[in-house]
This record gives sequence, C-alpha cells and structure tokens, in this order.
Amino acid sequence: MDPKTLIDTSVALPLPAPVWFIELFKALGFSLHEVPMNLWYAGIAVAVILGILRSGEGRRFSSRLMTQMPVIIALGINFGIVPLLFIQVGFSQVFYPATILMAWFWLLVVCLLAPAYYGVYLYAFGLAEGAAAMRPWRRAAGWTAALLFLAIGFIFANAMSLIENVPGWPGLWLSHHSHGAALGTALNLADPRLWPRWLLMFGLALGTTGAWAAFDAAWFARRESPAYRLWAKRFAWQLQTVGVIWFAVAGSWYAFGTWPADTRQAMFLSPWVLLTGMTALAPGLPWLLLWLARRREGELDRGWASLVALSQFGVLAVNAVSRQVVQHLEIRPYFDIVAQPTDTQWSAMAVFLGAFVVGLGVVVWMIWQVVKLPPQKGAS
Amino acid sequence: MHYPWWYVPHITAPMLIAVIAVVHVLVSHYAVGGGFFLAVETTHAYRTANREYLGYLKRHAKFFVLLTVVFGAITGVGIWWTIGLASPLATRLLIRTFVFAWGTEWVCFVVEIVSAFIFYYYWDRLPRRLHLAVVWIYALAAWASLVIITAITAFMLDPGRWPANHDFWSGLANQQTLPQIIARTGGALLLSSLYVYFHAALAIKEPKLHALIESRSARPALLGAAMITVGGILWHLYLPDSAKAAMVAAPVLNVFMALLFAATGAVFLLIYLGPYRHAGWQTSPGFAAALLLFGVVGFTTGEFLREAVRKPYVIYNVVLGSQMLCDPAETARVQKAGYLQSGTWTKAFVAEEYPRFFTKAAIEEALRAGDSQSLFPRDAERLQALPGEDRIALGGLIFQYHCNDCHAAENGYSAVGPMMQGWSRDMIELAIPVLHRTRFTMPQWLGTPAETELLTDYLLSIRPPRPKGMLPPEFPLPTQSL
Repeated sequence: MDPKTLIDTSVALPLPAPVWFIELFKALGFSLHEVPMNLWYAGIAVAVILGILRSGEGRRFSSRLMTQMPVIIALGINFGIVPLLFIQVGFSQVFYPATILMAWFWLLVVCLLAPAYYGVYLYAFGLAEGAAAMRPWRRAAGWTAALLFLAIGFIFANAMSLIENVPGWPGLWLSHHSHGAALGTALNLADPRLWPRWLLMFGLALGTTGAWAAFDAAWFARRESPAYRLWAKRFAWQLQTVGVIWFAVAGSWYAFGTWPADTRQAMFLSPWVLLTGMTALAPGLPWLLLWLARRREGELDRGWASLVALSQFGVLAVNAVSRQVVQHLEIRPYFDIVAQPTDTQWSAMAVFLGAFVVGLGVVVWMIWQVVKLPPQKGAS
Repeated sequence: MHYPWWYVPHITAPMLIAVIAVVHVLVSHYAVGGGFFLAVETTHAYRTANREYLGYLKRHAKFFVLLTVVFGAITGVGIWWTIGLASPLATRLLIRTFVFAWGTEWVCFVVEIVSAFIFYYYWDRLPRRLHLAVVWIYALAAWASLVIITAITAFMLDPGRWPANHDFWSGLANQQTLPQIIARTGGALLLSSLYVYFHAALAIKEPKLHALIESRSARPALLGAAMITVGGILWHLYLPDSAKAAMVAAPVLNVFMALLFAATGAVFLLIYLGPYRHAGWQTSPGFAAALLLFGVVGFTTGEFLREAVRKPYVIYNVVLGSQMLCDPAETARVQKAGYLQSGTWTKAFVAEEYPRFFTKAAIEEALRAGDSQSLFPRDAERLQALPGEDRIALGGLIFQYHCNDCHAAENGYSAVGPMMQGWSRDMIELAIPVLHRTRFTMPQWLGTPAETELLTDYLLSIRPPRPKGMLPPEFPLPTQSL
C-alpha cells in the first residue's frame, strides 16, 4: 500500500494564517511547554530519589521542587495547549490519522495525567506537614507520579514519531483493525526513532532540572542556608553534566542511527547543518556557564543564574525548531504543509495578538506585584 | 471517510466525547461561577472585616484550585484529545476556522491559572486591594473563556452566515451564541453555589458562619436558575427547525428536556424555600449532596440535549455525522464514484484487502478512460461475484465508516442490530437509500446500489431474528407492499 494514499487531499480547508505564523507559534508554544514539562519529566524522578537519600541538602532540593511542582504542572499543561492547537491547524492531515491509529494510548495520556497530577499534590501536601513525617503512601504517590509522567512521555514520543512515520501507517492499521476501522491499539514500537526520541528528551529534561536548581537557589531560596545554595550550585552542574552526556548519546543514536538517508543528508548540508550543529552544541552552553560558576567561590549570583536559565531555554528553543524542521523533512514526501492554501484571518489574528499582549501584561503585572512583596518571616 | 475511523466497541467513539465533555462542564462551569463567588464574597468579607468568613473562603479557594485548575484542566485537555480522535473532520474544520478564538481563550487560561495561584498561595501576604484585584481578574478571565468557547459550540448548532462567506466573525455571531452565553453563565452561577453548599456542609461546623454562607450563596443560585431558564427559552426559540423537530420526535429527548427543567426547578425551589427564605437555614451534607446531584442531572441532560438535537450533523449544515461535508459537490462525487472508492481510507483498505476487486489495472484503465463512472458497472459486477463472507466484510467496512459514528453494531449505544430485529432482506435493502427521508435525523446514504447490497449483507449478519413466541405469528409480506 502506498502510504501517500492515506493522506486526505479531497477536503480543501485553507490555513487561517501563513505557514510561518503557525510554525512560529507551534515552536514558541512547544519551547514554553518544554520548560515545565522537562521539570516534571525528569525533575519528579530526581526529586523522589533525593527525597529518600540521607543528604540534607538533597532532601531540601527535593522538597522545594515538589512543593513548586503543582504550579509547574499547571503551567506546563497550559503551555502545551499552544503547540497542540497549532499542530492541528497545520498538520491535521497527518496528526489525526497517527493519533487515531494509537487512539486508546493517546487517550490514556489524559487518564494517566490525572493520577500523576494528584499524586504530586499528595506528595506536596505531605511535605507541607513536614518532610520528616512524610507518610509512606504519600511518598508512594510521588513515585507513582514520576513513573506515570515517564509513561506519558513514552506515549507522546510514540505519537510524535508516528506522525512522521507515514510509511509505518499501513502496517499498523492493517494489523489493528476491525472491518477497516482502526482499533486504536497500535503503538509505533517498530520505529527505530521512537526510543532515542524518548530518551533524548529525558536528557534535555535532566539539564533543565539542573538549570532550575541553580535558578531557584539564586532567586527563590533566600531563606535557605548558604550551604544549601552552594550545594545547589554544585548539584546543578552535576545534573547538567549527566543531562549533556545523556543528550549526546541519545541524540547521536537518533541522528546517526535512525534518521532516513534523505533527512540526514538535508540536516547535514547547508542551510540546516547550522541548525543541526547548534542543536547538538547548545546544551554545552548552560553546562559551561555552570562549570564556570562552580569554579568561582561563593554562591551563584542572580545574574549568572538567569544567564544559565536563559541559555537552557535557548537549548530547548533550538531543539524545538530542529524538531520542526525534521518533522517537515520526514513528512514532506507524503504531505507538504507549505503547499496548503492560505486564507489569513487578519482581524481574528489581530484580536488574538492583542489579547496575547494584554494577557501577558496582566500576568507580568501580577507576578511583579508578588515579587515586590517583602520576604515572609520564616518562609523560604 | 477522510480519516481512519476509530472503532470503539459498544459505545461508539463520539460517546467518549460526551462522557468527557459532561465531566468537564461540571468542573469548568464551577471554574467560572466559583470565580465570581470568590471575587464577590472575598470583597464582602474584607468590607465587613469578617475574619471567619475570610478563613472559610481561603479553604474554599484551596478546594477550588484543586478541582478546577487540576481536574478542570485535565478534562479540558481530554476533550481536545477525544474530539480529534472521534470526529477529526469536524475538529479540523473548527480548528482551522477558530484557531484564533481558541488562542484567545488560551490567553484567558494563562491569566486564570496565574491569578488563581496568586490568589490562593499569597492569601495572607497580598495587600487587600491587590488580593481583590487578582481574584476579580480571575473571575473576568474565566468568564471571557466561557464566552469564547460557548460561541464556538454555538456555531456547531447554528453556523450563522459562515457557510456562505466562511468569515470568522459570521461564525461566532450566530443566533445561538447569546442564548447559550446567558444559559451557561447562569449555569455557572447556580452550579458554583451548589458546590459551595456541598463544601460548606462538609467543612463548616460553626452555625453562624454556616448560615451566612448559605444565605450569601442563595441569590447567585436563584439568579443562575433564572438565567438558565431565560437562556434556555431563547435557545429553543432560535433552534434550527430540524433541532426543534428532533426534540419532539425523539422520546428520549423529551424525557431529558423534562429532566432538565425538573432538576433546575427543583434546585430553584429548594434554594428559594430553604436558605433564601429562611435566615439561619443550615444545609446538611445529605441535603447539599442532593442539591448538587440535581444540578449534575440538570447539567448532564442539558449537555446531552445540546449535542443530540444537532443530528444528523456534527456541525449544522456543514459536517454530517457520517464524517462528510454537507457539500453538494462532495455528495455528487461520492455518489458517482461509490462510497468505498471515495473515502481515503476505505479505498486504500479495499485495494489492499481485495485486490481482485479493485485491481490496479482496472483503476488505471478507468483513469485512462477519464471517467470514474466507468468503474462502477464493472465494480458492481465484481461486488456481486464476491464470496458471501467478503461481501459481509465489505459491508462491515461501509458500516464502520458510514454508520458507526452514531450506531453500535450488534449491541451497545443505539445499536443497529436490535433496531432491525426480524427485518427481512428486502426491508433493509429498501430502507437504506431512503433513511434520510424516513427519518430526518439520519444522514443521506451515499453508497451505490451495489454498496447498498453489501451493507445489507452485513446488517443481515448482525440482525437478530424476530423474537420467538410472539402473537400474531409473522406472515411474509407481499413485496409490493414494502
């Protein structure tokens, strides 16, 4: 079966915005989503492990991160709406078939997310009662949440790789159907890109968690001991180091071991070779900044910590753009997003952008009011 | 037909949308009404310097955040997931038409989340004016998100002038938008009061504070019930004729309509006669749970009604329940080439599984001839020559893509098998092409005569026989009387 025949071209619905606009918001939204998503993806696992260790500072970091986690998850889910919205706008012809083929697993994301999120809350409420008095079932809730988020990541890696694996659709469909209707029980397990993609994101997530440890210690841990802040600086570098190595191994596997020849050729030739190089080398920047900070005496100052956080965001943004380019290259033989007709809704776009600016202004104003508050006695 | 169809045994895929959507609206309306509750009541508590009430409101804010920000957000995402899986064509059309409305709604969500967290987590630290500003920002952002999403769901029932001009604003400014905004805002106010009663009944023991909460929440609840009634009447007045007729024609919708008004009326009466008229009234947990249950019943039936009256459309006059566009050109194309050959996935499936039916050579020959019509007579002959089990299998393929959107097969939601219990082959074969005439809530049959036979074969295979022992006995009907 020619997989190209599975992509519908008979319904001509124009794009409501230029392709660049859709791509921009898809990449921007995914970059924003990646920050909190990385923190729950690897951060919760790191936190629950540190939570059972004897290291006092490690447990402090664990408590801090898990106390912050409910807000992080809320923001992460919210930011995830943007790329999900724009991928459906631009890539509906491939997004829907891929997710329908694995429908039950795709739906499972929602079912796993609820217990994972409440598990984090149970853990965080336990911490509020005192980390030392943490009950085993609350601890178990934290571990369960960590595992569920890893499982959710695996399902996402499946869905996103299946979107690009158009040639794999016929086989999955014909082996999971009832009278030609998809059973929704397929997984993209045979796709060699699946595993390195899943692992690659975990490497990035370790780096983001490291960068967060540094940023949090410099900005929000004013009430913690200097020893904690020094520990956080060291730990941030250690975690970043593990993350960079992990990313390098998984990224190499992904690029050199699983990319089809056409994709590899395109990504290693001008102009995309520059992006490929940036994506590969970018994680070195926050690592380098943390390494330099580690060599300096004393705590990490706020400016340097902000630089680390900004560079980590840059790593994620470059990664998001790279993923987008690779997605295009992989899908293009079957479906060309750029070739779709466009009928830009200028007035609606203006309203959205206006609301975006006003909303951002309101959010910044509210956060600024909180930042201006005098420190609370006895709080961290 | 443009996308793979997702087969969900017994309940059908679209019913999953209904399940998740109903759960979501029960929380999302509280997210809106509860925002106004917290804003109005926190303002009142500060103004009257009522520390006890402020203490309760802080507790309620925690419950509110845990339910709306967590569960509401997850079920909201769940709706996105299921509509894309179960109704991809309509979702694609909605998203391409209203992406900027959804984008604006997302901005509202960001404001909601940040303000809700600041309001709760910085309760004892924010200056009073700032604290109130934050909660009012939350309430307004939440209501704005209700307005936007309501306009989009209203579009599904009445697309206004959009089919003619494909204009974003024409789609949103349809006749259903305002009635539904009124009804949903009322629903949000009423439901939030019911949540407050329930939470307070469990959390508050102090009689004076309890009575204050009861009486303060009675007015928005009554206002909400009145708004539901006004919005509901306007909703009914501006319904398309087919939707009004569907409500009259379907007994279950009549029952649901009665349930909706009975539940809303019961809640109105109980609150009016209870906490509103009797100062100091205290709701027991059981009474509060019963009130909430009435509210849940009202909401659930209301949502089901809203969805059901659209039949046979997913989007009125735009997308049919059979996952086809209501476009005469597309209808003509499908009727000409045949359903199996017109659907992206059905065509690929047949070509793969039945190569002797649709051989590459035959298709190429037809394409060379430049007339897809030339395929049909030969296809019909081939179809008739297929073995019985293949004919049933192909009929099953047609059923999945054309019918399973609304009907389970042998048993389950609106199952076709039991509907045709005891039907003869002639009856089925004659009924299929005219179902949209005999029942206007059915979409038009788009198959060829040969495909009608295939579907008939399949339906006969899942049709139970006429129950035994019934009197008078079944006599064969003369063919001409059919």
